[in-house]
Amino acid sequence: MTTSRRSLLGLIGMGAAAVAGGPLLAGCSEKPTGSGSAENLDSFAGVLPTRRELSLGITPDIRGSTPVPDGYTTYPGTLVDAITGKPGTSGQVVTAMTPVWGPAPPGYQQSAYLQAVNAELGTPINFTIQDGNTYADKLNAMLGARDVPELLCVPGWEVGKIPRFAEAVKALFEDLTDHLKGDVVNTYPMLAGFPTAAWRHSIWNERLAAVPNPSEGPFPWALFTRKDLLDERGLAIPKTLDELLTAARQVTDPARKVWAFDDVFAMIQIYHKVPGAKLGWRLKSDGTPEFKYETPEYRQALEVMARIYQDGLVHPDIVASKGADANLLFARAGSVVFKQAGVGFWQGVQAEHQKVNPRLDIQPVPVFSAIGGDPLMWVATEPISYTFVRKGVGKERVEELLRIINWCSAPLGTQEAQLRDYGLAGKHHTRGPNGPVKTDLAFKEIANQYFFVSGRNPTIGPFPDTPRYVPDLLAFSNETVKYLEKDPWDGLKLEMPDRFKAFAVPAEEKFTDLLRGRRPLSDADAIVREWKSNGGEEARALLARALDEAGR
Amino acid sequence: MTTSGVTAVAGADRTRPRGPRRPARPAGTGRRRRLPLRVRLRRDWQLLVMAVPGFVILLVFSYLPIAGNVIAFQDYNPYVGDDPLEAFLRSEWIGFGQFQLLVEDPAFWHAFANTLTITAFQLVFFFPLPIVLAIMLHNLLSSRLRGFIQTVVYLPHFFSWVLVITFFVQMLGGAGLLAQTMRDAGLQPWNIMSNPDTFILLVTAEAVWKDVGWGTIVFLAALSTIDTNLYEAAATDGAGRWRRLWHITLPGLRPVIVLLLILRLGDALSVGFEQFILQRDAVGREAAEVLDTFVYHFSIATGNYGYGAAAGLVKAAIGLCLILAANKVAHKLGERGIYSRP
Repeated sequence: MTTSRRSLLGLIGMGAAAVAGGPLLAGCSEKPTGSGSAENLDSFAGVLPTRRELSLGITPDIRGSTPVPDGYTTYPGTLVDAITGKPGTSGQVVTAMTPVWGPAPPGYQQSAYLQAVNAELGTPINFTIQDGNTYADKLNAMLGARDVPELLCVPGWEVGKIPRFAEAVKALFEDLTDHLKGDVVNTYPMLAGFPTAAWRHSIWNERLAAVPNPSEGPFPWALFTRKDLLDERGLAIPKTLDELLTAARQVTDPARKVWAFDDVFAMIQIYHKVPGAKLGWRLKSDGTPEFKYETPEYRQALEVMARIYQDGLVHPDIVASKGADANLLFARAGSVVFKQAGVGFWQGVQAEHQKVNPRLDIQPVPVFSAIGGDPLMWVATEPISYTFVRKGVGKERVEELLRIINWCSAPLGTQEAQLRDYGLAGKHHTRGPNGPVKTDLAFKEIANQYFFVSGRNPTIGPFPDTPRYVPDLLAFSNETVKYLEKDPWDGLKLEMPDRFKAFAVPAEEKFTDLLRGRRPLSDADAIVREWKSNGGEEARALLARALDEAGR
Repeated sequence: MTTSGVTAVAGADRTRPRGPRRPARPAGTGRRRRLPLRVRLRRDWQLLVMAVPGFVILLVFSYLPIAGNVIAFQDYNPYVGDDPLEAFLRSEWIGFGQFQLLVEDPAFWHAFANTLTITAFQLVFFFPLPIVLAIMLHNLLSSRLRGFIQTVVYLPHFFSWVLVITFFVQMLGGAGLLAQTMRDAGLQPWNIMSNPDTFILLVTAEAVWKDVGWGTIVFLAALSTIDTNLYEAAATDGAGRWRRLWHITLPGLRPVIVLLLILRLGDALSVGFEQFILQRDAVGREAAEVLDTFVYHFSIATGNYGYGAAAGLVKAAIGLCLILAANKVAHKLGERGIYSRP
């Protein structure tokens, strides 16, 4: 059986070489193929909008060192009315789909917030809100059925999970190039303020296909701890892997229902400087691409994480079921002391749970190296999400939709942004000394709906309800940004081969078996061999070719 | 007493067809003269009209989608052409390429073997339980107590799998009630929820907890049709509790048992989905991969719809074969099976 699988691989590999950079399907093959593609985004400067930053007369309180955005600790006192007139002219309801993590907010018949913003827009948006954790499943089904709403939010990290995404974009979504390129973008002044790097990521099939929602921070993961719980036990925030593991053993106490970790494997990899570019690639010294599974650093990280599981330092609910709510175990119950999460997790959870537990103090653990030298941090420069416009709605409707996106993209310092982020005064927020403070109704109704169909020049804060957050985050970010990994494929848009994508999850699961002690660690070599013959080598060839073609 | 004795004999005759011989057909049923279509239409039109909505629903939601199975023979690309229909028409035909890949895929055979193992295990250790429970319930004299117990045992059926598994985690997991109690008593807690070797016991236990009560419904209905005179007569003749169970209750239940068994065999390759997705990380894919999760991971999650359709077709074909074979065996044994022999 293995031989026939290999020979099949040979067939497809040759097909991949034959159609390099061309159409996705090798015409004459009897078996389904999808060999991936690479686009060099540098060569499409002509389709990008010209950047013109808005001047709103507000200055940041803390500077972020690029690519960390600037931070604001207080809400601007005077707000600019950036958009006069209503963007919506037809009054015809706009359909949109966006993600939410947590309970779904009420629909627009029941939501004072949506009604207020919709009134400002002139044309109401009717949101379909989907669970962010399973958003890719919904997207896959929706795209496959070719049944999409007028405005569709696609989170950046889901793009890689959707096969034939470039083809889907071509078949289902409006080409926005002629509406936005060069100085034409000035019709939509808020969009003109976006960083050019974010626009570059919005290119598919050599055309501008979406409005990006630029990233607010360059780190995909951070390790967070409950500093209040560490203080109680007289422990400091760990600065090395040994300190972290020692602290983990000290806090773990099943009798008190406290365990150290949730699943922290990504952070353990980062501490071991496992490559993370394009989900785990780097260049060897001879210039050939190498995947993380093949590196000694990954093996070390595997060993450490397997030991963490073996020593029972991970909360058993998280080990036992996907249904466990790690956020609650960490922030409310204090049953998990160190939690790996995206940076975006921090502020929302602190704001929500400090109302019940005023001593709650969530802090990031500074990144360190477990194998000597400077630490390494993975980089996530791609936009948070993209907003696509459904194909075939007509030129006038596209323009109306872009005006609506423009309105929703108003940056900090505008009245539009305050309404979008904080709702109505007196109803969704009250005015505190540092700016608006959200009411309970705001927590219920405002769930980033308009945020996910727009973008803005990224800034951090202000968050009047968590005054220490912005300085803490900027301090952490400005330190961590020094250690950002260099991505050799930066600026190249890669669509990985289908077989590589299809084996990505099975391979991860096989390594999970190692981590959880279901297979011996020595099986790693066998898994790597399997990975190589299931699309790994194809992906390596694609990445090497992409660099060649880009002349790097 | 004589009358009831006579009924008993007749009843036993009814419920116990002897041997493989086909039962004698009442004279004339087969060759009754058919009325002309027009007459029948005029006579039955109300009934036909009532059947139309159900027929339309069946057509639109069950039969029409069957045509979508063509993608199993295509390198299906949902984005070619201008609309979904064109995507079907213009995707490239590759014949049995997907099936060839499937047969060569060890992950498929692994999922297949896992599914069959779980089915076989549950056939032995789950299938008989509702029968036992139903008989026990049926023997309860107090109807109020019986109603109460029935309500309690039906209830878990309406819980979603997420809830059932959360419940098991809270009771038997490492941070659950059992583990804490054992720790308090100075014992090392057992690893129940994340042990791949005992996973089959765990999923069966969960399934039993959720559905054993629900499964009794059909058997209770069948039990209620058994003539109580039979029991009286048997008791008079000196049959004890066990003899009555063996010679009256079980034969009375036999057609229903056989019917459900055949249907279960047809479903042999479906053992559930959420239950396995939710506990996959806990025990690993080796233990928790079944055909439905295989289709999800290798087709839905990766957009490889043609491959998934091929796997689904194989599954359906095997299910159909199993059902036909089981039905055949049932007929050979003189049971009615899912349909009567013509």
